[in-house]
Amino acid sequence: MTPRRQATTAPRTWDDPALSRFSPLPRILCFDDFDRGLCGWGGLIGNYEGSLDTLLPEFRDLRAPMLSNLSMWDTGTVGGVDGTYAMKLATRPQAGSLSVGIKRLTWRYAGRIQIEAFFTFKPEAVALELLETDVRAFGFGIDLQVSDRAAGPAERVMPHLRYLNALDGRPQEKWQFKRAVEPLRDIGGSGKTRSHFHLAPTGWEDVPGGDQRLCYNEIATKHNWYYVQIGFDLATMSFTTVRCNDRVFDTSGIAAMRFAAMPNLWCMFNPFMFVEADRGTRAFLYVDSVLISAELDS
Amino acid sequence: MTRLSHTAVVERNARWSGAFATEPYEAAWASEAIFFVRTLDPAPVSAQTSARVQISPDGMHWCDDGTVVPLPAEAGLAFCRVRHFGGWLRLVGEVGAGEARRVIVYLVLKE
Repeated sequence: MTPRRQATTAPRTWDDPALSRFSPLPRILCFDDFDRGLCGWGGLIGNYEGSLDTLLPEFRDLRAPMLSNLSMWDTGTVGGVDGTYAMKLATRPQAGSLSVGIKRLTWRYAGRIQIEAFFTFKPEAVALELLETDVRAFGFGIDLQVSDRAAGPAERVMPHLRYLNALDGRPQEKWQFKRAVEPLRDIGGSGKTRSHFHLAPTGWEDVPGGDQRLCYNEIATKHNWYYVQIGFDLATMSFTTVRCNDRVFDTSGIAAMRFAAMPNLWCMFNPFMFVEADRGTRAFLYVDSVLISAELDS
Repeated sequence: MTRLSHTAVVERNARWSGAFATEPYEAAWASEAIFFVRTLDPAPVSAQTSARVQISPDGMHWCDDGTVVPLPAEAGLAFCRVRHFGGWLRLVGEVGAGEARRVIVYLVLKE
């Protein structure tokens, strides 16, 4: 669905040029412009107990974020949307390698929340070729848990979305979600620690009408920035908005992972982003800026 | 204004044997860096080696910066300081034949 032309009444964010490209909910929780550093976005590690060897194998080598000025071998520095730096997630040069950036918050009101970002993705420009199928996927998710005094079921909820760009060298170009819960495995011997690899390649489902061709551009060193908006309602634990550029997807057919709450995660609110390589080329996700906003509490 | 700083864990519980190279890390915003290499137990029995700092204009083509981290045979922490490195940093080296070492590598950057 393509959004209809919007009214021209100036929203309040137009007072600030850096905010005017976003459409936030009334309360801005974080405005992470990566010209100011990584703003609390760090690497993801699985749970361990006693030894790092107890990490689930898939969690052992998730590559952590860095600050990039997008310097290319042929044209020099690309920079960000309105500055020099972006957060960069970079995989190893091997199929299935993942890089994840995560920010760890808690929520204070069980209403609507929204994450907006300007991002772009590319493989490492290792050959004078298009390389457009070397990035398998990039995606966005939130790790949530209800309040310790929630009226409803005590749940941990994890909305996951990814853009599946290619698989085994074949173009896919579609948005997917994941509600399938990976097996929870005990870690160590205390009985206190468990882990599940929620970014596993299994269980992804197509977003209805979720095919979308993006502006990859014509060589691996040209970057065009995209806009994504993801809305989620903490009261109903359901998606309210999924939008990328001109496409607004129907959220009625998509759902989050839901499973029993964990003992130490009440009111957790951890947005995360990731990128995955499809072949032996490093896959890069660059994020210029992120705006996290929320509905006002009463 | 407070100076920007960041500690990146570029290797975590990684096993080095033979030739090794850390993943490229972008650091154009920083003016100084320290590589810390923490060798974990069990330490290599006889291997004393070193890792070389490399710099790059594009993250793909590399040359030695001239700075070296000595890596003693016993478990523990080693480091080197780097300045004026441009856009990318990594560590490369080689562990002797038949030897291996398990490491955590930190890259500590400051504006």
